Amino acid sequence: MYRLIFKLSFKNAFLRLSRTLLVIVMIAVSMSMMLSIEGLYDGMTKAMVNRDKRSDCGEVSMYNKAYRSSRAVRDTISNADIIAKELLKKRGVSSVVLRLKADGLSSTARKSAFSTIIGIDPQAEEKFGKFSDFLESGRVDLSKNGVLVGSELAKKLKLKLGSKLIFSSQDIHGEITAAALRVRGIIETNNVVLDKSALYIDAKKLYGLLGVAKGSATQIALRLDNESLIKTLKKEFKNLDVKSFLELYPMIKQMQEMMKVFNSITFFIVMLVVFIGIMGVMYVSILERIREFGIMRSIGMSYSLIRTQIVTEALFVGLSGYIIGALIGYGMLYYLQVYGLDLSAFAAGLESFGYSSILHATIKVSYFSATFFAIITASLLSVVLPLRKLKNMSIVDVTKVVI
Amino acid sequence: MFSLAVKNIFFYKSRSITTFVLIFISSFFFIVYVAMMDGGHSAILKNALKVYTGAIEIYKRGYREKGGNEYLIRDVSSVEKVLKNIKGIKSFSSRYETYGLLASKNYSSAAMIVGINPQKEAYNSTLKDALIEGSYLNKQAKNCLYMGNTLAKRVHIKLHDSVSFIGSASDGSFAADIFRVCGLFKTGAYTFDSSAAFVNRPYFDTLMLSQNMASYITVNVDDLSQVDTITKAIAAKLEGKKYEVLSWKVLMHSMVEAMKVDSIFGYISISLFFVVIFFVIMIFSFINITSRLHEFGLLRCIGLSHSNIIALLFWEIFIIATVAIFMATPFAASVAYYYSIHPILFEGISKTYKEYGIVSDSLNFSFDIFTISWNVGVIYLLSFLSIIYPLNYINKFTPLEASRHV
Repeated sequence: MYRLIFKLSFKNAFLRLSRTLLVIVMIAVSMSMMLSIEGLYDGMTKAMVNRDKRSDCGEVSMYNKAYRSSRAVRDTISNADIIAKELLKKRGVSSVVLRLKADGLSSTARKSAFSTIIGIDPQAEEKFGKFSDFLESGRVDLSKNGVLVGSELAKKLKLKLGSKLIFSSQDIHGEITAAALRVRGIIETNNVVLDKSALYIDAKKLYGLLGVAKGSATQIALRLDNESLIKTLKKEFKNLDVKSFLELYPMIKQMQEMMKVFNSITFFIVMLVVFIGIMGVMYVSILERIREFGIMRSIGMSYSLIRTQIVTEALFVGLSGYIIGALIGYGMLYYLQVYGLDLSAFAAGLESFGYSSILHATIKVSYFSATFFAIITASLLSVVLPLRKLKNMSIVDVTKVVI
Repeated sequence: MFSLAVKNIFFYKSRSITTFVLIFISSFFFIVYVAMMDGGHSAILKNALKVYTGAIEIYKRGYREKGGNEYLIRDVSSVEKVLKNIKGIKSFSSRYETYGLLASKNYSSAAMIVGINPQKEAYNSTLKDALIEGSYLNKQAKNCLYMGNTLAKRVHIKLHDSVSFIGSASDGSFAADIFRVCGLFKTGAYTFDSSAAFVNRPYFDTLMLSQNMASYITVNVDDLSQVDTITKAIAAKLEGKKYEVLSWKVLMHSMVEAMKVDSIFGYISISLFFVVIFFVIMIFSFINITSRLHEFGLLRCIGLSHSNIIALLFWEIFIIATVAIFMATPFAASVAYYYSIHPILFEGISKTYKEYGIVSDSLNFSFDIFTISWNVGVIYLLSFLSIIYPLNYINKFTPLEASRHV
């Protein structure tokens, strides 16, 4: 019996082909667009988070309790190298870097700009966040006064490879200190703050310049395989200021929350309108065939079987739309993931938000599963009203209806 | 055809109500959304312009590109004479900008020290209004420093404390002085507050040897929408090759582009709603038209032409769309107008945003008749497009086929 109901549903679902196709196209187009937008927005945030973690703080960073408010060289973590060794022994810590930072003034013969000098170990940075990937031009060579300059800072100071610049700041004793540096590379991290102000030099050289003891650092940044380790680290290193990525980048946390709310609202509205569309078609489709249902009930078919037939019809339409939408959506997401959306024409604007000019989408199974349940629900709900109308009519009345 | 269309609208109530509701919602949300987006952008730009960047800035050619003392404007008074005679200019002020180190006993920080004319600057920007402690600069001020509160925190100094400055003068010589903090300001733009300090120009000129010199001249205009015309007028009056006259659109290029990008994403998001709503209107129109095939067949048989049928259906969608749009537009426009006067405040998140240099913690809406008009035009267009496929479908039937259709 159910096989017959199934066949009837299939035939009836596609009886008015144009109408059904319109609903399927509506579901497919709206779903694929929604998936692409969702994937693109998530991809943008994910890429930004990934770059900021790689270029700056990792999943978690540690500072001297006073450093983040004073930003003074004297507020370093004095035994940072020992702490780093301890941290590396922990399960779940994949890499650790020590950085020494000092704010100061960078000057060329013609221009000056605020900058932050960062003493790094290039090999450790490579392991930490594939530092060489950020290289826009030149090479990662910090020997003999070599310096790598943030891309925006380089633009501001009109620096090229080989250019000379002077960095002046205050050392640990409060004395003015300066160093002549030679540009070996331009770094573009898409981290707005770093690109505008960072000068990377060899940590060993910076220790000498600032008079800071070797093994000290203003920041210990960690890459974690397991983010639940953050709580443990906070408890264990109570004498340090231990901050997670989202605590250090509250704007990104807000962006993620806003994006979640925006995606949920979009999802709800789109599904509501899809529901109205399916309901309209199912309502008319049932009313058109109301006499047919009356005859079916007259010859002994129960209401529950007719209900099953109508529900299956709605599911056929909804599922067809879903399958086509999922295929197109996946295709679009895949294209956007591999090739990205090239918005180089607005590069300056995107960079000011911390995005790269080519935006890549991300693909999550949850996009498809959530949409699947929403479309199935919309399809099922769309037949509630017409079924109620059908149920309330007597068999005799239904059979007499002339369309 | 018009009266027939009105009759049909009332006869097919459920289709008419659904179409009306969908067009009403689309119009309302579209107008409010665009007003919110445009308003937000213009508020950010206006706030950014109020703080420091002028609507127009005049540089000696080469200063922005190459920099250095040889690209300073060295005849400020003659440029100012020209500016006085140009219509639309509200105020102008010359600035001498230099970078140096500010140091207290134990702490130092790089800073941008700017020599300004306090009275002119008070009229030209919101520097004076940003005062939070002490006093703003005056004409007689000597070694007084009016500095950003975050910069003061960095150097660990308070009001009335002394701070030393080391930099280089306009002739390249070493320049150093000890300033006293007379006032602290907070604009909300984090980078600016943590790096800028101001000194009265006559005093600063003696230190920097910069009399009648300026890094640039900043110009404020009466009407921001006329900025391009005024920029051209200034450029025409000044010697074209010697100076660059740049409007905020060039000076704040990245911010302008950021707004464009934000608008693009905004329109992409809203286009999704339009696509779905467009399809639903089309589906309902299609259902309605196909269920009336018999009626159209009969109408054709009694002498109505094909174009009469098209006109009838266009009248129907036009009437429904017009009623929906005319009811939604005043409603949406009132919302836009209300929030353009009474911006929405986000007090809870303002602190976080200000740390990132976003000055405004309020969301202004834009109320612009032209924008509302094109929004309405788009909704009309979508409504008409939604019945093209149903019309095409009924075209396939001859009058006889249609009249026999069940």
